[in-house]
This record gives sequence, C-alpha cells and structure tokens, in this order.
Amino acid sequence: MEIPSRSLLQKRIGVMKTLAWFMILWLVLAYAQVQLWRGREMQKLALAQAVKTRTTPAPRGIIFDRNTNKLVDNRRALHLVIQYEDLPRDPQQIAGLAAALQTDPDQLKRRIQAIRLAAGNRMLVLQDNLDDASVARAEVLRARFPFLSIEVAPRRVYLGEDLAGHALGYVGEVTPEEMQKLPGQFQLGEIIGRTGFEASRNDRLKGVDGQRRILVDYLGREVATYGMQEARPGRSVYLTLDAGLQTTLKEAFGGNSGAGVVLDLRDGGVLALYSSPSYDPNVFLNRLTQEQVKQYWDNPDRPMLNRVTQGRYPPGSTFKLLVALAALEKGIITPSTTFTCNGHKNFYGRDFRCDASHGTLNLVQAIAMSCDIYFYELGARLDVDDIYNTAKKYGLTEATGIDLPHEAVSRVPSREWKRRVKKEKWYAGETISVAIGQGANSLTPIALARFYAMIATHGKLLTPHLLYGVRQDNSSEIDLFQPPPARETGLDPGIWSTLDEGLYQVVHSGTARESAMPGVTIAGKTGTSQLTAFVDKAHYAGLSKKLRDNALFAGYAPRENPQIAFAVVAENAGFGAASAAPIVKKLCQYWFIDRIKKPLPPPGAKLPDAFRLDPDLAAGEGQVP
Amino acid sequence: MRERLRFLDTGLLLPMVVLVLMGTLTVYSAGRGTSQSTLWLKQALWNLLGFLAMLAVAAPNPARTFRSAFPLYLLGILSLVAVLTLGHSIGGAQRWLVIGKLTWQPSELMKWLTLLFVSHRLGTRQLKEVTAWDLVRASTLVIFPMLLVLKQPDLGMAISFLPILLLVPLMKGLRAKWVALALAGVALLGAFSWQKVLKPYQKQRVMTFLDPGADLQGKGYQINQSRIAIGAGGFFGQGFTSGSQTQLNFLPVKTTDFVFSVWAEERGFLGVLLALALFGAVITRILDTARVAKTAAETYFCVGAAGIIALHLLVNVGMVIGLLPNKGIVLPFFSAGGSSTLSYFLGLGVVMAVRYRAKMK
Repeated sequence: MEIPSRSLLQKRIGVMKTLAWFMILWLVLAYAQVQLWRGREMQKLALAQAVKTRTTPAPRGIIFDRNTNKLVDNRRALHLVIQYEDLPRDPQQIAGLAAALQTDPDQLKRRIQAIRLAAGNRMLVLQDNLDDASVARAEVLRARFPFLSIEVAPRRVYLGEDLAGHALGYVGEVTPEEMQKLPGQFQLGEIIGRTGFEASRNDRLKGVDGQRRILVDYLGREVATYGMQEARPGRSVYLTLDAGLQTTLKEAFGGNSGAGVVLDLRDGGVLALYSSPSYDPNVFLNRLTQEQVKQYWDNPDRPMLNRVTQGRYPPGSTFKLLVALAALEKGIITPSTTFTCNGHKNFYGRDFRCDASHGTLNLVQAIAMSCDIYFYELGARLDVDDIYNTAKKYGLTEATGIDLPHEAVSRVPSREWKRRVKKEKWYAGETISVAIGQGANSLTPIALARFYAMIATHGKLLTPHLLYGVRQDNSSEIDLFQPPPARETGLDPGIWSTLDEGLYQVVHSGTARESAMPGVTIAGKTGTSQLTAFVDKAHYAGLSKKLRDNALFAGYAPRENPQIAFAVVAENAGFGAASAAPIVKKLCQYWFIDRIKKPLPPPGAKLPDAFRLDPDLAAGEGQVP
Repeated sequence: MRERLRFLDTGLLLPMVVLVLMGTLTVYSAGRGTSQSTLWLKQALWNLLGFLAMLAVAAPNPARTFRSAFPLYLLGILSLVAVLTLGHSIGGAQRWLVIGKLTWQPSELMKWLTLLFVSHRLGTRQLKEVTAWDLVRASTLVIFPMLLVLKQPDLGMAISFLPILLLVPLMKGLRAKWVALALAGVALLGAFSWQKVLKPYQKQRVMTFLDPGADLQGKGYQINQSRIAIGAGGFFGQGFTSGSQTQLNFLPVKTTDFVFSVWAEERGFLGVLLALALFGAVITRILDTARVAKTAAETYFCVGAAGIIALHLLVNVGMVIGLLPNKGIVLPFFSAGGSSTLSYFLGLGVVMAVRYRAKMK
C-alpha cells in the first residue's frame, strides 16, 4: 500500500480547495437561477400572497318619506366570512367547518366552489348580522379555522317595521336563478332588492362597492392598507309616501285583511299604500326559520301578497261609474234619463234583485243610492264589449305602471276574453251582472284608485308612483322624479260633473252618508262584492268569515278642489258603507285636519314643501294656527 | 490582551468579522416586530464573547490544546449523555442543557472536540504508520457522539459530524475501494437510521425534499416560502428591513435555519455573491493553514474545520433554496445562537494558533 507523503497530502488539500470553490460555484448558479432568471416570477408570488384586495360593500341608499322621515336606514353589522383568497380546498377542513357551523358539508362545498369560480373576488358570508354572543363564538371558530374572518358590512334596517312592508319590500342576496335570468347584471353575493320598492328601484338604491388593497401577514392579518377606492353609497331616496297618513291607514285596518291606497292627484304620487296583513321586512334579512316560512308563505291570509297591486277584487258597485260612463258615452242615456226600481226586475228570464225599492231615479240618484235596477237597465242596453272598450279607454284593462314589482292587471270581461279563456260564447244575461260590478270583473285597488283619480281630475290618467326624488351626491338638493305625463282621455265636462255630483251625493245623502264629515267634502262610491250568493240575512250571518262580502270604497276629496284619490278594500267586512268608508273618513280626518293642526316634526333636511293643504280650505276650517 | 491580538490571523479574521456583522444585521432585520426583536443584541454579545474565547485559544503554541484533547472529548461525551438524561426538550427534541438563564447546546462544541481528539489521535503517529485499523478506530470516535446526537434527535447536527470523516480520504486518497466502503457504511447507517432512529417528522422532511410540490401548505411550505423570498430578492434585493417575505413572517424560522433567505431577499444576488465569496475566503484560508501546519494533528484539525464550515454552508445555503432536504442546520456566522457562535470562534481560534506557529518557525 502506497503511503502518502507530505507532498501528496499537500496535493489532496489542493483538491479539496478546488472542490470547495466548485461547491460555491454550484450554489452561485442555483441562486442565479432563482434570483435572476426566476426573480420576476418569485416577486409576483411574494406580492400575491402579501397584497390582497378586499371589497367594501357599499351601503344602499337611505329611504325617506316625503317629509324626510327616515323609513329605511343602514347600520354596521358584523358577518362571519371567508375571504376569496382564503377559501379552503382541503375537504377535511370544509367538513370540520360544516360540523362546527352545523350545516350540510356538501352544500358548504358547493357554495365555496361557486364563489371560487365567480368573478370579482367576493367573500363567502357564512353567518350574517352577528350579535355579541355570536361574535364570541365566531372568534373561537377563527382560532380553529384561521381562514375565517369577521367583516363589517352595512345592513338594512326597516324602521317602520310592518308599517309599509309591501311598499318598501326587502333585500337579500341575489340568487343563482336571478343571475342566470339576467346575465351580467349582478355579481355573486350581491345584495339586491328582493321585492317592493327595494326591488323596483334597485338601480337607484344600490351603490358602488369599494376596493381596498391591503398588506397581510402570513396569517392573513391586515398589516397595512394601501390603495383604497371608497365605496360609493347608494343615493338617498325620497318616497311620495307620507308616514303619518300611512300610519293612519294601517291603524284604520286594525288587523283586518284588506288593502288601501291614497294617490296625490297632482302627479299620481302614492301618499299611502297598505296591504293587510302586512309584514316586517327586517324578518326577511335573515334566513327564515321553518316556523317563519309557515307564518309568511304558507299562511291562508297570504301576508306576502301586496293586495294593493296584486290583489284582484270584484269591484262591486264601485264599477257602476264605469258602466254609467259607457252608457253616457254611447248616448244610451243622458244625465236626466230615469228608470224605475221596484226592488227586482226580470231580465232574460231571470229575476234580478235590488237592496230596496228605490222608485224612479235619475243617474245621480242611482249612483247615490247604488240602485242595482238602474244599472241592470243599463246593462240590458249595453253590450259587454261596450263596457270593455270604455274600461280600456279609461285605463282599467292595463297595468297602472306603479313602480312596484309584479303588478297584477285588472280584468274586465269581453266576448273575446270569454272565448279565449273560458272557450264559451258570451251570454247577454252575464252583462247584467257585470253592470253592477259582479261577474268576471276583478280590479286591483291601485287600478280602482287610478280610475277614481281620473274622475276627480276630469279625465287625467295618472301613473301611480312611489319615487319622489333622489338626493344628489354631496348636496341636500333633490332630483325630483318626473312621472310620465298624465294621459288625457277627453270627455264632455258635463259628463264629469254628473258623475262628480253622484259621488258627492253618495256621501252627502246616499249609501255612505254616515261617513260625511265636517270641513271636508268626500266624494266616493261604496261597493260590496259578494263572495257567495245572498239568500237571506240569517244565512249570511251563518257564513264563515272567509265567505262574507268584501267592502269597498273608492273616491276622492275634497270635492270642490280634489287633492287625493283613494281606494279601500276591507275583506270579509260586509257592506262597503259600513266598513270601508269609515277607513276613508279616518284618512281624510288625518290628511285634511289633524295633519294641519299637529304638523310633523320639522324635517331634517331642506326639502321643497311636498304637499300643503289648500289655503282656502284651511281658512274655511278656521282651526289652522 | 493587546499582546494576544497579534496571534490572530488577519486573513481569516477579516472575512469572519464581515460575515458576523452581516449575520447580526440580518438577525436584526428578521427579528423586527416579532418576539425576537432584541435577538440581534444577544447575538452581538455572543459574537463578542466568541471573539474573546478565540483570543484565549489563539496561543503561540496549539500543542497544549491538543494535549488536553482526550479529557475534553470525555467531557463532551458526558455533556451529550447529560442532554439525553437531564436535557431540556423543545418540540419533541431534547438538545439543550439549561444552566440558569443560559440554554446551551453541547453538540455544537462536541463537533469541535471530536475533531480535536481525532486529529490528535491520528497525529501522534507518523503518517506512513497510520493503518486502516487506526482509521476505523478514529471513525468510531466520530460515530459514537453522532449516535448520541441522533438520539436527541438532531439529524442536521449528526450530519455536521461527517466532515471529520473527510480525514479518511485525506489519509488514504480517493481509492475506489475506500469510496465503496464509505458509501456502504453511509448506506448502512442510513438504512439503520430510517428504521430505528429517525422520527416521523425527519422522514417527512426527506419525503418533502424528494417531492417538494406535493403539499405547499404543509411540509413543503417552508422551502417554498424560502424560495419565493430568495427569488423576490432579485439582483439588488428588496432592501434592508424591506423584504415582504421576511417582514410579514411568510418566511419560517428566519433567525436561524432560514437566516440566509432573509439575506438573499433583502440584499439580492449581489449580497449572495458577497457572502459566498467570504465563505470561500474563510475555507481557502483554513485549507492554506492546513498546508503550512507544523504537525500532522494540526493539518488534520484544519482540514476538518474547513470541512465542517463547507458542509454547513452547502447544507444550509443549499437547503433554503431547495437544492437539499430541509435539515434544520445552522449557517456559521449568520444564524443566531450562542452555542454554535462560541464553538465556531473557538474552533477557528485553534486554526489561527496553528497558523501563527507555522509563520513563526
């Protein structure tokens, strides 16, 4: 064996030195590869995990009534969320989280996947509107699942609770179905108006979400903010509603089912709109419990139905004005034409009856006493298509165009309608029933109110609307909403004054005379729509409440200088004069007398005066300070 | 004191001091805003202490140091046994002795004591008289403390004993049969370790090395974050205390194992070149000292010292960039830690004494 000499040792140390430098060269090359060749890529990776974009949800516009009373506000609420970039992938983690939240793991997985695939880096909201105890629980969860975070986001508060539930509607997260129906319109997770005004004017109420670029540490905790685009809140919106009148209307129903609407005759603004039973929109901001689903959606009283715009009622005697119009326009009668009522009369071989034996009446008296025989006579002389065409001309066969979603269209029968829907021909006898508002007629209260508003304004067809104006950004000025111009129907002024006289007599000397009030002259028509055949009083008293007549009252006030029009339906309440007219009396009492005596608290913002009592009337009242 | 300064070797001291300064600054930057914000001060103090210890051993004649090699080796073995019986355990590993406020890791110094004793034993004979049997016995002296360290367990540290075995090819040359024998030995040791000694987390580390992309949030996380940090440094670096990976804590164990990633992120490729050049200078200087050493024992010691530093450099700097498995091994002069700092200064103090004597005579 060769024994290494000193010089051999020297040589071997020299080799080691070379090896050491080769090793260093190797390291240099490795670092050059990562730092020089792939430096950009690594810088991007470093930025991507340190810089995150967060969406700041914009608060929706605040909603006021016409006197700047706040109806809908926002408040800050805490939500348990997963930010887009923190969405977990590990199925075990997702299962663990689902167990902790007591939700279905598959559903959670689907929601995570949906958010991940959607554009816009939305966060996944797991629990919203946390109260103090939930915040504490959420913090405990966060320790186990560090990808959770707690975010502040605005939340709607409906201050009036059930005061104007149907008018306002409520908000909720956009559903996948809606996104499919209107592609590109919504972002996943976006809060949109689900129904009511919130839905119909969603565009005006919604703001523009903000973006925030933040620096996070390895645990995703925010270290610094840089680059911020403030959320732009939705604009404040003013409604034509008057909270005081709305409250009066709500209280007038006293929990009974029905619908009421009051229109401003100048432009069609809705001063009050109430559907009873109402609902509190705040309830629908949370996921409903099974009990609540039953209470709201599976309730035979149908609280979710907006009876004003979606409820269709046989109009009863309130329809007689249209029949009178048709007869006058066709020249079948003049205002002075008389018929004699003996309590009943035979038409087409069938006996039709009246409430009483009214004797000989002209048109004004017939309207005042709501004499059925008089209108049977008109029905016998008119074709159903005459009635239909008049209804069409005066807007009763179309949607009113109110800015609330899913408005139902009133129905006035015609030969064509019966052929199409019932596949039968029209019988002349049916026209007799239609002439007193029974039969296949069914009108929405809003359409009825619009019809009486037309009589009050001598032929103007208004578009009912809830939007009063939108507040400008950075200013207290309001961009007033310009409703579509009223449609002029044009008619001989003499006809209008005849109808007006008739409606005046209804309250002055006719069926609703008990609702006459000092100071305000109400003009209107009562109506009672039978839900079942009237046999006799004993039979009627024995009917279940559901089958009792609906009471209606529609008209306008004050007669001399009409300012408001109204339609009220009290379901299963009996005769129109007895239950619907008193509601209108309360409305007029508030609007023309109490409101002036006890003005609302001074408005919080400068507003053009929305609605002021006519000075002459106020002077005549002599009680205005 | 001033008298002793002349025993120091400027050619070795200069790159050392620069590296130590760079290391302390990096520890400062890495510790900012964390619980380790004052660690750099402690590290500076250890460096100062190390410098004083170096002065103590850098005597004109290293012979005295070599003569006490056996008792020192025994003391070292005892300290390792003490660690296994009385030691302080952190995270499932029992590696530390706690003396008052001081936490001491005896294995760091034991590396150098083993090197000293093995060099001394082999150096007592003439080079041509060294037999294969001598080498086997010397290797046993290395493997015994290695097994004690593996038992703690501390795989990284055990590996850092390996360069002492470099002395074998130094003695016998790189003959095929020796290389084969060494490889067979390593393979046997490896297989034995895998079966009996390695803890699951250590096996996991090896698996991670073999497939680092498999689980970025889990085992490969550290290496992945470290590579991002290094790459993000680019050519000029993100700037002192400005590396996002470091400052936002994406980088793990950044004051010890991954301290070089901090340096690479904040000082860039330029800083990496500088550090590697300085390490190269240190290793070259030590090997040069080995060449001029007066005795065989001194030569062996210097070669072993160069090997230890080169191995740490390779494993640590290679590990943080993903070239080598994640071993948990410190980088000399950079990583914070009292035991290792003091040990390196002591070991290189002996090298300086060797050089001084060689120069004098």
